This record gives sequence, C-alpha cells and structure tokens, in this order.
Amino acid sequence: MKNSLLKKPLLIIMLLIGSITYGQSIKGVVSDADGSLPGVSITIQGTTTGVQTDFDGNYTIKAKQGDVLVYNYLGYKTEQRTVGSESVINVTMTQDSTELDEIVVIGYGSTTVKDATGAVTSVKSEDFNKGVISSPEQLIQGKTAGVQISSTSGAPGAGVNIRIRGSNSVRSNNNPLFVVDGVPLSGGATTAGANVIGLGGNPAKNPLSFLNPNDIESISILKDASATAIYGSRGANGVVIVTTKSGRSKKGEFSYQANVSTSKARETYNLLSASKFLSERARLGLAVDATSNYGNSTDWQDVVFRTAQSHNQNLSYSKSHDKGSYIATLGFGNQTGIVENSNLERLTARVNLNHRFLNDKLKLSFQGSVSRVDDNLAPTGGTAGYKGDILGAAFSANPTWPNDPDFDGGTLVNPANLLAYTKGTTNTNRYLANLSLEYDLTSNLKAKVSVGLDQSDSDNFSVTSSEVLGLEDGIPGNGRGAYNMLEIKNELLEATITYNKEYTDSKLEVLGGFSYQSFQNSGMYSGAWGFSTKDLDLMGSTLKDVVTGVAGEISGQYQQFGFAPNLPGVYVRGFEGLDFTTSSFSPTTNTSGVRSLAVDTYDNTTELQSFFGRVNYTLSDKYLFTATLRADGSSAFPEANRYGYFPSGAFAWKLNEEDFMSDSNMSTLKLRLSAGVTGNQEGVGYGNYVNRSRWNGLNPQNNGNIDLNNGNGIVSFGGNDLKWESTLQYATGLDFGFNNDRLSGSIDVYRKETQDLLFLVDEAQPAILAQKFRNLPDSKIVNQGVEFSLGYDLVQSEDFNWSANFNVAYNDNMVESLSGQYDFANVNGPGLSGAFAMRLQEGYPLFSYYLLQFDGYDGAGQPIISEDKSFVGKSALPNLTGGLSTNFNYKRWTMSAYFSGQFGHYVYNNTANAFFTAGAFNTTRNVLPETLTSGEALGASAAASTRFLEKGDFVRLQNLSLAYDMPLSGKGVFKSMVFSVTGQNLFLMTDYSGLDPEVSSATGGNLPSIGMDYGAYPNPSTITFGINAKF
Amino acid sequence: MKKQFNIKIVLLSLISITALYSCSDLELEATDSVIQDVSFTGVADSQESLNGLYGETWGMLGDQANFFALNEVTTDEQVIPTRGSDWGDNGLWRSLHNHTWKVDHGFLLSTWNQLNSKVLKASQIIDPLSNSSERQVAEAKFLRAFSMFFVLDMWGQNPFREATDDPVATPVVLSPAESYAFILNDLNEAIAGLPNTGPSTETNGASKAAANFLKAKLILNSERYTGATPNYQEVISAVNAVEASGFALQDGYFKLFEPTVNTETVLYGNIGIGNRIWNGMHYNMVTPNQGGGWNGFSTLAEFYDLFEGDANENYVGSGQEERRGWVPDASNANNTDNYGMGYGFLVGQQYSGTGQALNDRAGNPLIYSRDFSLTNSSETQAIRVIKYHPFNGTNEDSFRAHETIFRYADAHLMRAEAMLRSGDAGGALAEVNELRVLRDATPFGSLSLDDMIDERGRELYVEFFRRNDLIRFGQFTKDWEFKDPAAVGDANKNLFPIPLTALLSNPNLVQNPGY
Repeated sequence: MKNSLLKKPLLIIMLLIGSITYGQSIKGVVSDADGSLPGVSITIQGTTTGVQTDFDGNYTIKAKQGDVLVYNYLGYKTEQRTVGSESVINVTMTQDSTELDEIVVIGYGSTTVKDATGAVTSVKSEDFNKGVISSPEQLIQGKTAGVQISSTSGAPGAGVNIRIRGSNSVRSNNNPLFVVDGVPLSGGATTAGANVIGLGGNPAKNPLSFLNPNDIESISILKDASATAIYGSRGANGVVIVTTKSGRSKKGEFSYQANVSTSKARETYNLLSASKFLSERARLGLAVDATSNYGNSTDWQDVVFRTAQSHNQNLSYSKSHDKGSYIATLGFGNQTGIVENSNLERLTARVNLNHRFLNDKLKLSFQGSVSRVDDNLAPTGGTAGYKGDILGAAFSANPTWPNDPDFDGGTLVNPANLLAYTKGTTNTNRYLANLSLEYDLTSNLKAKVSVGLDQSDSDNFSVTSSEVLGLEDGIPGNGRGAYNMLEIKNELLEATITYNKEYTDSKLEVLGGFSYQSFQNSGMYSGAWGFSTKDLDLMGSTLKDVVTGVAGEISGQYQQFGFAPNLPGVYVRGFEGLDFTTSSFSPTTNTSGVRSLAVDTYDNTTELQSFFGRVNYTLSDKYLFTATLRADGSSAFPEANRYGYFPSGAFAWKLNEEDFMSDSNMSTLKLRLSAGVTGNQEGVGYGNYVNRSRWNGLNPQNNGNIDLNNGNGIVSFGGNDLKWESTLQYATGLDFGFNNDRLSGSIDVYRKETQDLLFLVDEAQPAILAQKFRNLPDSKIVNQGVEFSLGYDLVQSEDFNWSANFNVAYNDNMVESLSGQYDFANVNGPGLSGAFAMRLQEGYPLFSYYLLQFDGYDGAGQPIISEDKSFVGKSALPNLTGGLSTNFNYKRWTMSAYFSGQFGHYVYNNTANAFFTAGAFNTTRNVLPETLTSGEALGASAAASTRFLEKGDFVRLQNLSLAYDMPLSGKGVFKSMVFSVTGQNLFLMTDYSGLDPEVSSATGGNLPSIGMDYGAYPNPSTITFGINAKF
Repeated sequence: MKKQFNIKIVLLSLISITALYSCSDLELEATDSVIQDVSFTGVADSQESLNGLYGETWGMLGDQANFFALNEVTTDEQVIPTRGSDWGDNGLWRSLHNHTWKVDHGFLLSTWNQLNSKVLKASQIIDPLSNSSERQVAEAKFLRAFSMFFVLDMWGQNPFREATDDPVATPVVLSPAESYAFILNDLNEAIAGLPNTGPSTETNGASKAAANFLKAKLILNSERYTGATPNYQEVISAVNAVEASGFALQDGYFKLFEPTVNTETVLYGNIGIGNRIWNGMHYNMVTPNQGGGWNGFSTLAEFYDLFEGDANENYVGSGQEERRGWVPDASNANNTDNYGMGYGFLVGQQYSGTGQALNDRAGNPLIYSRDFSLTNSSETQAIRVIKYHPFNGTNEDSFRAHETIFRYADAHLMRAEAMLRSGDAGGALAEVNELRVLRDATPFGSLSLDDMIDERGRELYVEFFRRNDLIRFGQFTKDWEFKDPAAVGDANKNLFPIPLTALLSNPNLVQNPGY
C-alpha cells in the first residue's frame, strides 16, 4: 500500500543519503503490477547509501559488482538484487499484505499494524473473497478472527448478521457501525419495506448492497474499545471502515473486470415424487381419489428453483499526477436468484479524487458514488403462516397437481399461482459523498473539515393480482397492492485538528474533533385494494400514479389520505399545531384503477452531535499509549441524559524492540492492553421520551371499506428516563512473528460487559402503550472470548509460493443479570400459533432454546413429549467460529481456497416442524420419504420441541479460485490480463438435515432471533468465470 | 506567505462557522406527529380518542384468542382439541380448557395489557384537562367500567393511575372492594350522562341501557368482590331500566345475530365476526367468498346435551329446541340460503351447498362426532358451534362488522336470577319460562340454581360470559371432560395469575394464590 503522506520526507532523506555515491551507475525502473512505482527506496545492503525512484519509477544508483541492492516500499515485499555486470536492473515489486508496516485505516486517521494499540485488522482488496459478491462484507467473510459474518438467506442482496466479539444487545441491532469513506452510515433500513401481501414481510435487506465491491480498497475492522471508542455511542458492536480505491497509475490506466456466473441450489429436499406420493398414501390407508390424485407429476422444487445466470462488469480509469490523483468507475451487474422472480440489478458510478494545492499544504479530497439497485423479490417471508411462503408451498404442494398457474390448490397455495400473480420490486437510488479539505497550518498542525451526505431514495411495489388463489385478506377477485417509499437523508459535518510532534525519543499525536450528523427518515406506506387490472406491472404503475396524483392535490400538511367505496371523496387526516384535523375532497385525479387506498406518511429526524479527542504517545518506539474520549449527544434521549461520555485507554509494548530480544529470531512481539466504554442506541428510534400522538393506521378491509372511526393515539409517551446502553470492554492481545514474520499471528482475549440494556419493557398497567423503551436496571450481558490467528508462508521461492492463514475465535455469551423472562423466536406453521423456541433469562446465553423435550414415539406413533418446556442447554450462538485460507502461487498461476466453519450452535428446523410431519402428509401435503418411516402416526401432533432442534455445526468450502496471469509483451494495448474461475459454496460438511445451517429466518416474535430456519432461501453454489484486464 | 495566511483565516472561520451553525440543541421537531409536553395536558381531540377507544374495545372482543379464549375456552362451552398437526399451538388452547394454564400463558399478558391500557385511555378522556363533553365523559366512564370490570373479574385486583399521574410512577392497586365501588360509581355517573338509546343502529355505542346492563352484571357478581350478599333489588332495578329504554325479548333466535336492528341488542361492536363463523368450520366447508373454515373451536358433548333433542344428530326434525339450531342435510342444503352450513350446534354428516355429503381432507366422511380427544383428535371429531351464519346478510358480509356484546336476554335472565336468589322463586320461574316459551323449549315446572345456570348456557353460549357465570354458580371448578383432575375443586382457578412482567413492573401487585 502506498502512502503519499510519507513519500515526501522519505524522498528528501533518501536524496540526501543518495548524494554520497560511488562505483558504477545502475539504472532501472521499479514497478508493480499496476505500473511504475515512485518513491521506492533502494539501498545498498550493509551501508547507508540509498536513492529513491522518481515519479516515473526510475532510479540511478552507484554500486559495485557484488553489492546487494535492497528495494523497500511500504506495503510491498522487500526485493533484493545482486549487482552483476549489467547496468540496468528493473524490479517488479509485489504487494505484501502480511507486512506489518502496512497502513491501517482507523477512526479519524490511520496507523500501521506495528503501531496499532487496539485490536484492528484490515483486509486489502487483493485478499478479498472472489466470485459473485453482492455486498462488501462478503469480501471479508471468515478473514478475521472474532468476526462472524452470516448471511440470513441466499437471496440476492439478503441481509447479513455481522457479530464482532459476540452479541451485546437484545434489541435488533447487533451489527457494527459501518463507516464508508468517513461517512458513518445510519443503522436503520435504507430500502423501502417489502411485503408480499398475505405472506408476511420480507427480511431486511443488506445495508451495504449499494456499494460496488470492486470499488473497495480495504476494509478495516475495529474490534476492541480502544479502537472503537472514538466512535463513542455507536462503537459498541465494533466498527467496520470501508475505504474505496483512489487513483494510483501515473500514466493513466483503464481497468476492466467482467465475470459471468451460474448458480444453483446446492441442495434441494428429496421430496416424494408423484407416484411415490400416491403409493405411500395407499400404503398408509389414505384415500387415493380425485381429492388427492390430480393425475400430474410435478416437481415443485423444479418449478420454484432455477439455475441462475449472473454477470457483473466494471470499468475504471485512474490516474495519478504530481498534485493528486483521481479514479472514475462504472459498474453494472445483474445477480439472478436461484428462486424464480428474484434478482438484483445494480448500476454504480463513482468518482474519487484528491488534489493538493498551495505547495501541497491544502489537500482536497472527494469521494462520491451513485448507485441504483433494482431488486425483485420472490414471495418469501419468515413470518408466512401455516401455508408457508413460496418455498414452503413448493415443499408441501401435492406433486400430482399440474404445473399450471390457474390451478386452484384449495386451502393450500399453488406455487405456480403464487409465482405468476405476485410481484415485489424495490428500486433504490443512493448517493454517498464526502468532501474534505485538509490544511497544514504548520508542519505539526493540520486542520480538516469534511461534509458528507448519504441519501437513499427507495420505493417498493408489492402487488398480488386478483387471480391469486388460496390467499385470504380479500385478495382473490380484487387484488391488493402496497406502494411504500423510504427516503433517508444523513448529513455529516466534521472538523478535526491534528497535532504531531516528534521529540528525540518520543512522538506525540493529538487529535481533536467535532462531528454533527443528522438522520432524516421519511416516507410512506400505502395499502390498496380492488385493482382494475390484473397485469402486475400495470398494477404497480397504476398504484403509483394514483398515490402521487392524489397526494399532489392535497394542500398543506397531512399524515394520511385515502379513499374507499364506503367513503365520499378522499379523506385527509393531519395536524395543525396541537390539533388533529380531518377533511375530505373530490379528487380530479383518475382513481378508477384502484377502488380502495390508504396512505400513511412519516418524517422524523434524529441528530447526533459529538466532541472527541485522541492522544497517542510513543516512547522509544517501544511503548505506545493511546487515550480517547468521545462525548456524544443524541436527540434520541431526554435532556437530562442526552450526552454520554465514552473513554478508552490502551497501552502497547513492542517487546521485539527491546535489547534483550535482539538475538531472538522473533521479528515481532507486541503486547497490547486496552479498556474502554462504548455505547449503543440503535433501534431506539425517534422521540421515545416525549408525548407523541398520531392518527392510527388504516388499511382497506377485506371488502375494501376503510373504517375512519379508529381515531388517533399516542405512539410514544413522556417521562422516560432513557439513557445510553453501554459496553465496558477489557482486552489484551499479543502479536508475534518469527523469521521476518514468515510465521506470524496474534492472540487476543477480551471481556465485554453490556449494561443498562435498552429494551422494550412491558409497562406497569394501566399504561398508554403496552411496551416502552427503558434501560433495564441491573441488567448485564457478558461476552468473553479468545481469538487466535496464524499465518505462515509455507513455501517461498521464485516460482512457487504457498501460504496459509488460519483464524479461530471462541466466544462465550451469558445473560448474567436480568429481571423477568421473555419468550421469543416464533415457530410458524400449521398448529404452531403461539409456539416459540427461545427464552431470554438470566443465567443462560442469549438465543437459548426453551422447548419441550422430545423422546421418540410411543407404540401408537404419538410423540413422547415432556409435560413442560425447559431450557435445553443449547443456544443458537456458535461459540467457535473459524476460517482457513490458503494460497498457492506457481509462476503465473494462483490458486486459493477458503474454508469457513461455525460450531457449537443449534438450528431450529422450523421448515421440518411445519412441513415434514406425518400430520402434514395426512392433510395431502408432500413430505420427505423418511417422514413416513419415522414411526410417527398420521394423526400425531407436531408441537415445537427438541425433535426439530439440530446441531448447526458446519464447515463450508466458501471459495475456491484459480487465476492465470497472461504473459504479455507489455507493448500491446493490454498491460495485464488475468483470467479466473471461482467456485463458491461448493461443498458443505454438516449433520443438519435442512438445506443449510447458516440461516436466520425472521420468524417474528418479541425480540429478534437467530438460528431459525423457516423455508429459508438457500445459499446457492456458484461458478464464476472472470477476466481482469488493464490497459 | 500572505496567501497562506489568508487560507488559514478562511479555514479557521469555516470551521467555526460550521461548528456554530451545526451546534445543535438536539431538540425534536414535530414533523409527523403532535408533540405535547411531557406532562399530560389533555387529549388533543376527545371524540377521536373516544373513537379509538371504541375501536380497540371492539378489536379485543372480536379476537378468538386472548379475551374471548380466557372467558370461553376455559369453560365447558368451548374446547379446541389438537387435531394431528393442527391446533397444537403450543398448548395454548388445551391448557385453558383443562385448567392447567400457567403464569406465562401468552393470552394472560396480552389481555391484561389490552384491558388495563383502555382504563388509562378512558381516564385521559375523562380528565378535565381534555375538555371532553359531558356525553364523551360518560361514554369514557362506561368504557372504563367495562375494562375495569373484567380486570376485577379475571384477576381480582385493579392497578390504577390517574391521567395526570407521573407516567413512570408505580400505579396503586385497588382492593376488590375499592374496585367494585369505583366501577359502580363510574357506571352511575355514566348512566346520568349517557343518551337513552333504544333498539336502533345506534346501539354500537354506550347508552343508559348498556351502562345499566353492566351495572346489573357488576352487582349480581358483587359477592365475589366485596364478600357481601349482592343487593338483588338493584340488579332488578338496573334490568328494569334496560327494559325501560325499549329493549325486550324477541322471537327468532338466530335472527338476533344478524346485522339488523332487533330489540335484544343492547350493545354491539363494529367488529368482523369471521372468527365466530370460521374457527369451528371444517376446511372443506366453503362459501363463495371464503375458502373454508379453520376446523378448531368445538364444544363438549356434555354441554350439547343440555339442550333438548336427539343426542347424535341435529337435522331438521331431530326433536331439538330452537336454540340448538339445525344442520342442513341433502334435502335442504343449498346455496340460496345456507351454503350447506347449519346454525347452532353442528353434529353428524355435513353437506355442501349443493347437497353433497362432505369429506375431510384425508377423504373420510365429514361427520362431526360427539367424542374426541383433547390431544389427538381427527379432523372430523367434536361438535362445532356457530351462532353467526355466513348467510346472514349479503355475500360479502360473512365478515361483516356486527358482533353482539350485551343482549337483553342476558339482562332478562340476570333479573330472574336476582329474583330466585332473593327468594322470589315464582317470579324467577315466570321470567325463565317467558324466555323458554319464546325459544320453543318446554317450560319448567320449577326452577333451581342448576336450572338457572344451564338456562344461561343454552341462551347465551359463546357470548363472553360463561366463565363469569360458572364462577358465580360455583361451577367453574367442577369436573368436565378433559379437565385436569388436580384442577377440579381448586378455587384458585377462579382467578387468573398476574402475568410475570406485570408483577415485575408493579411491586404493588400481589400474585393470586395458587400461582
């Protein structure tokens, strides 16, 4: 990694040293894969003689035959050449990601690995995972110890759970803070909610899918409090800093990447075929007649799953020059999902530039991106009722039904019908920009001001046409639709001052700053009933036209509007000051396309204002001290508790620099100690400490009528003593390296205690709201763990290199103190109303299963089940997570493989509970062959129990890739061309009987859950062919 | 140097300007809601708040779970057997019927929250700061009394706070006698301020008659709350007042549940009655607008046997009294007035709207049988109950919003009971027989308390009050089919446990004995 900040002083020093020269003159060009490298230092081994390359990578040095030239450049492997008779020595340097001098981006600055006091890891672009990457965090999955990244489903753009050092919070938000090019993102959803009507909501989408993974230069993960405390109230779950690429090629260079891929379900269920379905019915004494045999043979999984072709293309142009650099990129990709109707199309454009003015004292930099993501959603949803979503319907549909969208499945859903007559589309435009000016006031003092904007405009259509069958809610014959909009506007203003001073034997760096960020969240929900058209696309556009047309006719403020057959004209409900207002009018907009419509809007803004500071002090380049403090004020809290203070301190000792270590072959030995407090307020929402009232929500009833007599009500209530949730973390770590860090690694131990948990507490009745956010008194969640990582360059030679990296983390989670007990993690499906799988209670880890004990079947085939539910000693949290990656490099061939694994957790197979029971077969639903040989009676009940709780341990070959770097003359158009083939998710080792144990269906409940598998969209296996060319 | 200096100034001023500009007080702005002071200053619009309160009350009553389940499924009238993979539902239904509910039963917390929150919302409308009209105050007092009555009846204690109390302060808890006095006072004040609405479409709101009805109900049960013998004369007076508002018994039992004006509907709610229709129907019983029932809610054969008529079938001419209803057979099932669906108690072979004998999903004849198992029934077992018929009205009205809450026949029987309990056996017998004759049932020669509770069951089945009735007659703890033997005779079951989170939130609450 090049560091322009250090180039200048180095250049000067090197030029001074280089002036003392002797012997023959050696010339050459130093370059890397991207082109010439300026500022590379070349020294003669064993001397102080050295020079530096100029801006075109040229150097000249006087040396004798037999001298060894040493080529050094930050972030690159050191090269050595022995001077022979030649007068020209050209050197190609390769980047070295294990190099400890590499730059690591941290909060409001950067440091090097060897100087970092906190637990920080950085993954560079060349180490990113390959293949179909729809979202940036997939780039670093499994690369870092203690960072558990799990996809919630295999849908394109699906949400992701990222847990850094365990789960601290019982609220929804355990994801870390994402900072993209200096702009901290809002923790909330940025895409309009989708709701395929009648099947419950779609799970949350990925907050980062707007970023083009190809634009990313590096991703830093801040794990301990000393690193994250500079982000104060938003740092408790760790921080992920994404830095995008900047221009680096002196001559100007185009880079083009393209890949095509094909994906399919890695596994499907081995359901009964039509003939087997009928023969099993006959064997079990069930009627085989017109009500069970429809005379066809349909593999419903074939109907619903598909082999999906995706492609992705990127073009970028980058150039660096004396005063700065720029890069412009354009990306276009279409990722097709393996479930029909699902795909994600993304168009991104980015410009990053930086320029230095006024003798390089003023530096301007700008990073801006625009993205458009069009997301088509399959009718899937974790809260789907007993009929299941499209996948549940495919698993349970009678295989003798015809594959005909107009076939009526009676009380069950015909998957073909659901696919043909529902549609959900979300379109999101997102703009992210950061502009900063940095000025060197003196050689020690720098001031920086930056402004950032993160804006997302998203809308979603979900329509179900009148031709759909078997759904309730008055849809058949009428159709229903929803048009939702979400606009997020996140504005950032930051000012920092940095003071650097080097003393004889020490170094001081002081940072002070101010930050203000506002998060505006506005939009609307609408529900419509009774469409004049059956065409799904036309339904969407009709609905949008009606909504925007009628909205445009309303003058003044409003919260709601709509119309219905039972109402005259359009009703409008809003407020004026402290009064609620109602009115109605006759619209001129043609509303005939929709018979009934209810629209509800919202608009609120929360603000965060912060003051922060950091002091770094380095003594003798051995002892490193860091102290940070951040004061955060948030409008989410009442005045008395508005500000929270988040301090941290860290100390590191570079033992390898000590004299007593000088004879050791240990190249690195560093001890790190840190402690700090960070906060968390995500998910608390807007104004939960004041009396707020709104009109109550409206929705067309099953006959299309809207009942306006539902009044208004209080949505939040005053008197709260809300304050910050805080996490105290102690951590210690040891970094080590032997033999010039050929073998290197680190071990970290930590303990995190989260207190004052923010929680939706049941209010003492009588109360206006049943639940209110409060800080649970005396609550404590503890995460403690050990992380270990090891890297070894097994073979280092001219032609063949082999390296391996291994990381493993153990985390123990415990709810140490909490009053009360809270049931959550709904189990959905027929006969499972009110069923849940988990309970939150002190003395047990988060996500602990609380279930009936299942002990097989009695002689009559009835389940033997315990009288009462109890904690079964199992949790959905893995306590061991790990990754193993290895790289082979032979001449121009590179092969890499990466395995990930999670262990010690259990998955609740809600899919089996809902669909694969003898009772399901008894009601003419399809099942697995083994369902009918388990000894379970056809009339047995299938209560939620440990029968469906399974070990979730797995090892996955996440990534296997082979690349070939074409030898090029260098004289043609192309500077380099790399071909690659990558396989993702090629095999999975697990005992889990469902499709994939890495799953998290949002099945609903009082608290967010993990580890539930209810008809989850499976993770596909993918093969990708790629080309990467530079010209 | 000059240039640099300027730049410094510019930069520094930029920093200070931006810092000043953005140094925010972090106060909220009312962009999409009405934001009031932290202290209660009155509801913004009393009528809208009242509408909201009515809506919530109807919503609670229309649900088949929670309030309805706690008051009906805990009795001999309603039972939801687990049928294979259906209706296991985490044991929610079974534990209510067999009296093994525990403190963490989900319906307890939600019903506790539903009822109590309405108490505070009503208090806010009542509070002088809201400037509500006299009638609005009276309506809110009726609704507050309604919710407090059920909290008292189900849990034996009422937490309470005024609208102006500190919302984070711990509410006081009224003793049963204090609650009783409070509710009675609310009702008396409500009666004074409410309109004297007679039979009309307007009976979906509080009226003098509705408040008198609830007053009669409260006083009739008062021994449980105060320990003192109820003032039966006041019960009779309150029922007389209901009658004086124009309400009276009306002929044609199942017509009473149609969405038309009749002289018995003292109070109805604007809430869909789909739950009451479909929760018992089999999946294969369909109408043009409903793709089948949910095959759950059933009744005990022993309850069905309280009615006159053949024990094993309920077709026309099975010797049944009117209130047991009838089941269409091949001869009279049709799509012009019944869709093949019966009225009252569905037993025996069921037919489609075209007169075809129906089958269950496995292909067996759909014959609702008397016998079943609580934990493992087939699809066809157990007798079903339907009071609201999908044909009552036009097609789309199968989910029409019109559910009866207070019915004059109940008041009539309360008056008879008050007479009987206060020694006027002759008067009571005449009242009961007046009803029985109207319903084409054989008049009684004499009237015992057992006859009285059975008559209430026959007339008022699945109308919310079975639990309350059984407790008053000392029969809630009697043995019935599938009841846990340990619960038989356990008087602690007459009250529900206070939900755990409620206990945690308010240390003034004391858990009821036995939990």
